[in-house]
Amino acid sequence: MGVVLRNLQNVVPLRRARLRKDVETLRHILGIQKFDLGVICVDNRKIQRINNIYRKKNMPTDVLSFPFYEELRPGKLPCPLYRDELNLGDIFLGVEYVMKQCQQQSQDLHGILTSVTAHGICHLLGYRHETEEEWKEMLQKESYILNEFNRFTGRQLVPLTKKCSQDG
Amino acid sequence: MLRTFSRAVSSAVRVSTTSMSSTPALHPLTRSVLYSPNSGTTRPFTRSLWMMSSNGAASGYRPKLFSSKGRSPVSCECVSLHTEGDKAFGDFLSDEMKEEKKVQKSKTVPKMSGGWELEQNGTEAKLIRKLSGEKVTVTFNINNSVPPNFEEEAEQVQGQKSAESEPDVVSTPNFVVEVTKPAAKHSLVFDCHYPEDEVSHGEGEEESDIFSIRQVSFQPEGDGEWKETSYTLNTDALDWALYDHLMDFLADRGVDNTFADELMELSTAMEHQEYIKFLDDLSGFIKCN
Repeated sequence: MGVVLRNLQNVVPLRRARLRKDVETLRHILGIQKFDLGVICVDNRKIQRINNIYRKKNMPTDVLSFPFYEELRPGKLPCPLYRDELNLGDIFLGVEYVMKQCQQQSQDLHGILTSVTAHGICHLLGYRHETEEEWKEMLQKESYILNEFNRFTGRQLVPLTKKCSQDG
Repeated sequence: MLRTFSRAVSSAVRVSTTSMSSTPALHPLTRSVLYSPNSGTTRPFTRSLWMMSSNGAASGYRPKLFSSKGRSPVSCECVSLHTEGDKAFGDFLSDEMKEEKKVQKSKTVPKMSGGWELEQNGTEAKLIRKLSGEKVTVTFNINNSVPPNFEEEAEQVQGQKSAESEPDVVSTPNFVVEVTKPAAKHSLVFDCHYPEDEVSHGEGEEESDIFSIRQVSFQPEGDGEWKETSYTLNTDALDWALYDHLMDFLADRGVDNTFADELMELSTAMEHQEYIKFLDDLSGFIKCN
């Protein structure tokens, strides 16, 4: 099974192959290679519209996750009976929003996109950050994923959940 | 809708003039001729022509075009056929051209960003760019590049027809990208298209990439025949990582989502220009000059 990657925007010059490779590394770390995953890159206009429709927040944001399984216990992988259910869901990456943040903080866009995707995958796996306890649990998971990622790749990504208090 | 009528009309007239000598049976509309390919001289007659030429259902008026005796000669010194139907057609075309020119965004086509040179040969256009010794050529044809918009046309039929509710006509041509490296015998050729659900008709949720690569092949450099014996990579069942590398390759050469959006605008403008020119030529052909 695989990652369905779509680029629906023309604001940010995206390196598709690099993003896919990073996502595959994340899937390998999490042991979710058998599950399909959708990663859709959109601009501010589109992510704002989706944010407004589904979360009633009329503003752009960095990531929106749409889990296939809505009631997963955090970190417990689903055990589907049918082939069609080998799906974790879709992640919409607000690449324009992320790019603007990177420009302000002089950070590498694709590195941050990978961190954002890790955060999004955690949501697909049932992690939340609505209470402090949930936030700690999710931060721990993200830290583990990105530490392993950094070990494999030599990069230095940090969890997005650190900045979750400003989630759009 | 006006463009729908006019395209249907242009097909229907050819049928009527070729069938004049046969028993005139008025066949009801069976199908639209909008996108019938290569239908030659035997295209089904469309109801649209009735609506265009009739003075109303109750009037009993029948265009003399369909009467076995019904040609109304127009006094004219040229030797070609002129009928009342032709006159009505000519008047219709004048109105149609006026309307189309009103909605035409500009008399000139938009310029592509990124330093692309445009060469046009009728309905075929080439965009050429050179960078670091490589030559990138994008070729497309505006013929058959406007997909039918069935949903919005259905709304029109239900009585919402008005100038303001005319659907936007967008041209989304298939296009071929050729990348030629210096002193190479072969070009790397990408056959690309706009996936249908990516043509936005409002605020629908698009799910596909703005454009997709369908096939990739090496072909002899230059304007030669397509070599059927060259291996052609079809992306339908392609490894997705390889596909992404191919897309990145194109993006590095200026063929990215921005390019695809601008190409759509260019093609739409060109198609509209050619359509108006066609109407003008058609009008000239029908009228007595």
